Amino acid sequence: MNARWVGQDVPRVDGLEKVTGAARYTADVKLPRMLHAKVVRSPHPHARVRAVDLGKAARAPGVRAVASGQDFPFHVGIYLKDQTVFATDRVRFVGDAVAAVAAETPEAAEEAAALVEVEYEPLPALLDVRQGILPGAVLVHPQLGSYQKVPWITPEAGTNICNHLKVRKGDYEAALRGAAHVSENTFVVPQVQHVPMEVHVSAARVDLAGKLEVLTSAQSPFTVRHLLCACFNLSHGDVRVSVPQVGGGFGGKAGINLEPIATALALKIPGRWVRLLIDRAEEFYAAVVRQGLVATLVTGVDRQGKVVAQKMHYLWDCGAYGGYGVNVVRAAGYTCGGAYEFPNVCGDSIGVYTNRPVGSAYRGFGMQEIHWALEQQMDMVAHELGQDPVEFRLRNCLGPGKRTVTGQVLDEHAGRVDKCIHKVAEAFRRPLEEKPGLLRGRGLACAVKAPAMPNDAASSVLLKFCEDGVLEVLVSGIDYGQGLRTVAAQFAAEALGLPLHQIRVRNLPDTDLSPYDWQTVASRQTWATGNAVLKAAEKCKAQFFEMASQVLHAPVERLALEGGQVVDRGGQGSVPLTRMVMGYQFPDGHTIGGPVAAAAHHVPEGLLFLDPDTSQSAKPVAKWTFGAQGLEISVDPGTGQIQVDRVVACYDVGKVVNPGLIRGQTFGGVVQGLGTGLMEELKVDALTGRVRNASLVDYKIPTSEDLPGELEAHFVETPQADGPLGARGIGEHTMIPTPAALANALFDACGVRILDMPLTAEKVLRALQAKRAKE
Amino acid sequence: MLRRFEYTQARSVEEALALWQGSPDSRYLAGGTDLIPRARATGRAPARLVDVKAVPELDQVRALPDGGLSIGAAASVARVATAPEVRQRFPVLATCCQALGSYPLRQRATVAGNICNASPCADTAAALLDLDAVVVASGPRGVRRVSIHELFVGPGQTSLERGELVTAIELPAASAGARGQLGRLTRRQGVDIATVAVLVTVLPAGSLRHRVALLSVSPTPMRVAEAENLLDQKGPDGAAEAAAIARAACRPIDDVRGSASYRRDMVGVLLERAVHALAAERGGRGA
Repeated sequence: MNARWVGQDVPRVDGLEKVTGAARYTADVKLPRMLHAKVVRSPHPHARVRAVDLGKAARAPGVRAVASGQDFPFHVGIYLKDQTVFATDRVRFVGDAVAAVAAETPEAAEEAAALVEVEYEPLPALLDVRQGILPGAVLVHPQLGSYQKVPWITPEAGTNICNHLKVRKGDYEAALRGAAHVSENTFVVPQVQHVPMEVHVSAARVDLAGKLEVLTSAQSPFTVRHLLCACFNLSHGDVRVSVPQVGGGFGGKAGINLEPIATALALKIPGRWVRLLIDRAEEFYAAVVRQGLVATLVTGVDRQGKVVAQKMHYLWDCGAYGGYGVNVVRAAGYTCGGAYEFPNVCGDSIGVYTNRPVGSAYRGFGMQEIHWALEQQMDMVAHELGQDPVEFRLRNCLGPGKRTVTGQVLDEHAGRVDKCIHKVAEAFRRPLEEKPGLLRGRGLACAVKAPAMPNDAASSVLLKFCEDGVLEVLVSGIDYGQGLRTVAAQFAAEALGLPLHQIRVRNLPDTDLSPYDWQTVASRQTWATGNAVLKAAEKCKAQFFEMASQVLHAPVERLALEGGQVVDRGGQGSVPLTRMVMGYQFPDGHTIGGPVAAAAHHVPEGLLFLDPDTSQSAKPVAKWTFGAQGLEISVDPGTGQIQVDRVVACYDVGKVVNPGLIRGQTFGGVVQGLGTGLMEELKVDALTGRVRNASLVDYKIPTSEDLPGELEAHFVETPQADGPLGARGIGEHTMIPTPAALANALFDACGVRILDMPLTAEKVLRALQAKRAKE
Repeated sequence: MLRRFEYTQARSVEEALALWQGSPDSRYLAGGTDLIPRARATGRAPARLVDVKAVPELDQVRALPDGGLSIGAAASVARVATAPEVRQRFPVLATCCQALGSYPLRQRATVAGNICNASPCADTAAALLDLDAVVVASGPRGVRRVSIHELFVGPGQTSLERGELVTAIELPAASAGARGQLGRLTRRQGVDIATVAVLVTVLPAGSLRHRVALLSVSPTPMRVAEAENLLDQKGPDGAAEAAAIARAACRPIDDVRGSASYRRDMVGVLLERAVHALAAERGGRGA
C-alpha cells in the first residue's frame, strides 16, 4: 500500500485537550455526594493480625463506611490470586492494607483511619531476596499451595517461590566443559517505582439497584472488571468500569490495584460514590513497584569468540505479592538470552516473595533488568577475549534462521538486531572529543522484548459513521501519552481514504459501551488495535462497495475508494461516501444499506504454550522487537558524576507509523532508562522494612535538565508479517538497553565495572579509587 | 496528613507578635514551603499559623544608609535572586538563591524561612554565613540583632527566642562586592537538595579575605575559619591544605542522599575546585 497517512508526522489528535487542560482525569471528576476513602496500612513488614477494631473509626465524625479483612476475605490477582482485598491473618509489607474508611471529607477519613485499632504480633521479616530461597527461610505465604492461578504459573508450595520458569536448550554442561573461556558474574537491580505524574485513584459506587460502577486510573477497564467480578463474585453484567484520561502508568496501573478497596467500601454504603486517592508517599511504598533482580550469568565461549554455553539464573524480588509479577518472572525466562543466539542454555527465572513493596509490571516487563546483566556480560566477555564488543555482539546475535532460547527459529520478518548494532556503531565513528578534566567513553547495548500476555489477548474496535461523514473509532486501549489515539486515526484514515480531521478516536473506554480490549500493556496497542482498525475499515469499505455497486451498476471488483468517493474504475460513475454513511437513498425514495459501522478484533495467531520442563516452543510469543543504543558519556574523576552527552538509539519497528510519536517514545524511554541507570532506587530499611525515600524529595527521577546533550533515533523497517502495515511494538523497548549501555560506557571511559544499579556518583568514585589503589 | 490549624494573617509586626502570643502553639508562616510539607508528613501541625506575608515592610529589599542591604523576611527567594542590588553588590547571595529548589518553589519560599528552618542544607545560609549577615528579630522583649554565626544551633533549631519573628536579614557594607564560587553536588542536574555544597567567597579588594561555608555536612550550615585563614595566607596554593582542613572539620552523616565518607571526600574536592575557579576568575580579570 502506498501509505498516505501512516508514516506521516501528523500531530497528536489529543494534543489540544492535553495542553489546554480540557482533558479530564479520574481525580478531576467530581462525583455527586462523593465520599473520600483512606486506607489503614501496616507499619510492620511482617506480622500476624490478631484483631482489627473498627468501632472508634466507625463512630468518628463524618464516617459513612468502614471495612476490613473480616468483611472481605476475598482473593484477588491477575495470574496468581495471592492477595486479599484487606489483610486477613497477616500483613506482609509496610503498607499492606488492613482496613479502610470512607467519610464525607478527606480530613475526616484520615482522622478516622487513625482511630482503627489493629493488634499485630510482629513476625520475623524477609527483606533480602537471596535469603528467601535458603532452607528455613521465613515463609511469606504459608498457604501458597492453596491459591488459585493460571496453569502456566508454577508456585512451589512450602517455599517462597511464586513462579519458576526453566529453560533448557542443548547440553549446557557439556558445552561449558568444552569452552575455551568461561566468565561468571552477578548483577543486581534494586526495586524502583514508576512515579507516574498521576498517582493511583479509583472511585466506586453500588447503585440502589445493585449495579457496581467504577471509575479508575487504570491500564485496562476490562481486566479490572473481570478481576473485580472474580473477587466479589459478581456478574460482568452488573459491573461497569470506565477509565478517564490516565496521567501515566508505565505498568503500575496494569492489572488491578485500588479498585477492590474502593469497591469494598462502596458495597458498605450503597448509593454513595467512594473515591480512594492515595498520596505520593503511598504511591512509593504501598502502590506497586518494579521487581528487584539478582542475576548470575555464566558464559562459555569458544576460540572463535562464539558463545557455546550460557547459564542464566534470575532471582526476582517479587515483594509481598506476586499476582502480576509472576508473569514478569515468566517473560524474563523465555527471553532469558536477550538478543543473542545461545546454542546451549540453562536458564532459571525464579520469583521469590519477600516482605518488601509489591512488585508488578513496569515498562520493559523485566527486560531492562535482565539486559543490565546480559549486555554488561557480553561486553565483559568481549574485553576478556580482547575482542571488539560490537564484533562480538554481531557474531552472537539473533537474526533470521537463528534459534532463540526456546528453540523458535526466527524468520525473515522477525526484525534485525544486527542492522541496529551497525547503525549505532556507524554513529560512533565520529571521534570522541576530549573534555578537560573529564573521562570520556562510549558504550553499546542491545535490547529485545516480546509482548508478555495470554495467548488469546484480544483488542477489538468499533468503527461507526456519523450523519455528516465523520468516522468515530472506538478503541479500548488507553492513550496515556504513547499516542494510540493518533495512530488509530492514521490507520483508519489510511484504510478509508479519509482526511484525519474527519476522524474521531474515542478512547475513554467504558465496559458498558466500548469494545473489548485485554490491556494496554506489552507494547501491543499499535500492533493489535492497529490491526483491528484496519480489519474493521475493510468491513466498512465492503458496506460502501455493496451500496455503490447498486448505485453505479458496477461489480464490486471494479470499485475503488478515492478521495472520499467510491469510484467505478471501469466506467465514469462515482458516489461520495457522505451519500452512503446512513445508507443510500435513490431518487425515487427507496433506500438500501443503513448506517455504516463495523466491529473487528485482533488476537495473536498460532501461539503455543511452552514445554513445562524446558520451555521449548516453536512460537511462544507474537513478535520480537529488537534494538540497540549507544551512549557517550563524560565521567568526573573527582566526584564520580556521569554526564550523558549523546544517545544514539536504533530499533527495528517494522514500520514507523508516526515519526514524531516514535521519536517521543524513544527519547522518553531513554530518559526513564537514564533515571533507573543513574539515580533511582527504592531504599528499603533492612531492619524495619520501611521505604526510606518515599517522596519526590528523596527519590529522584530525571528532569528536563538531565536530558542528554544529543539524542538521535534511527529506525529499521523489516515488516512484521502480522503487523498493521508491518508495524510492531516499541513503547517499552526504548528504556531497556539504556542502563547497560551506560555501564559499558563507564567501563570504556575509566575501566571500572559496576554491577549493581544505579550508577550513583558515589559508587563510581569508589570504584575509581579501588582501581587506582590496585594500580 | 495535614491536621487542622488556625490560619491568621498579620498586617503589622506588632499584630504578628500579638497573634503569636494568642495561642500556646503558634508558628510564623512566610513561604510555607518547609512548614506545610512537614506538617503534612509528620501529621503534626501548629495550632495557629501567623502569616506575615501581608506585613508591608517585610516585603522589601532595600539599601541601608551605610551601604548594607536589608532583605525583608517575606521577600521570596526568586525576588532576592533577581533584585538588582543583590545581583550587583551581593552576587554570592543571588547564586545561592538560584540554587535553591525549583523555579516555582523559589517564587514562594523566602530567604528568612530558609534560615529559620535551620536545615543543614539551607542553600541561602551558605551565602549569609560567608557575607556575615545579621538577622533582625522582633519579639516580646523588643528588637534584637543576631549574627548569622550565632543563629544555627542544630538541625531545625535556631537561637531565636520563643515568639521572636525575623523581620529582616541585613548584609553589611563590608561584604558588598564579594565574589564566590558555589560547588554543589546533587543527584540530578537540577531541583535537588545538595548532597554537599561548598561556597568559597573572597571579600572585596582591600581585604581579600576568604570565607568558606559548607552545607549538608554537619548538624548546621557551617563556616571553616581555619581553612579561611590558610587561604588568606597562601591563596590558591593552599587549596589542597584548606580542603584537608575542611574535610576534618565537617561532621557528615549517612542518609539517602549519600554516605558520610563520600560527603567528607566531596567537601575536599568541591573546596579545591571552588578556590581554583575563583583564582581563575580573578586571573581572567587581570587582577
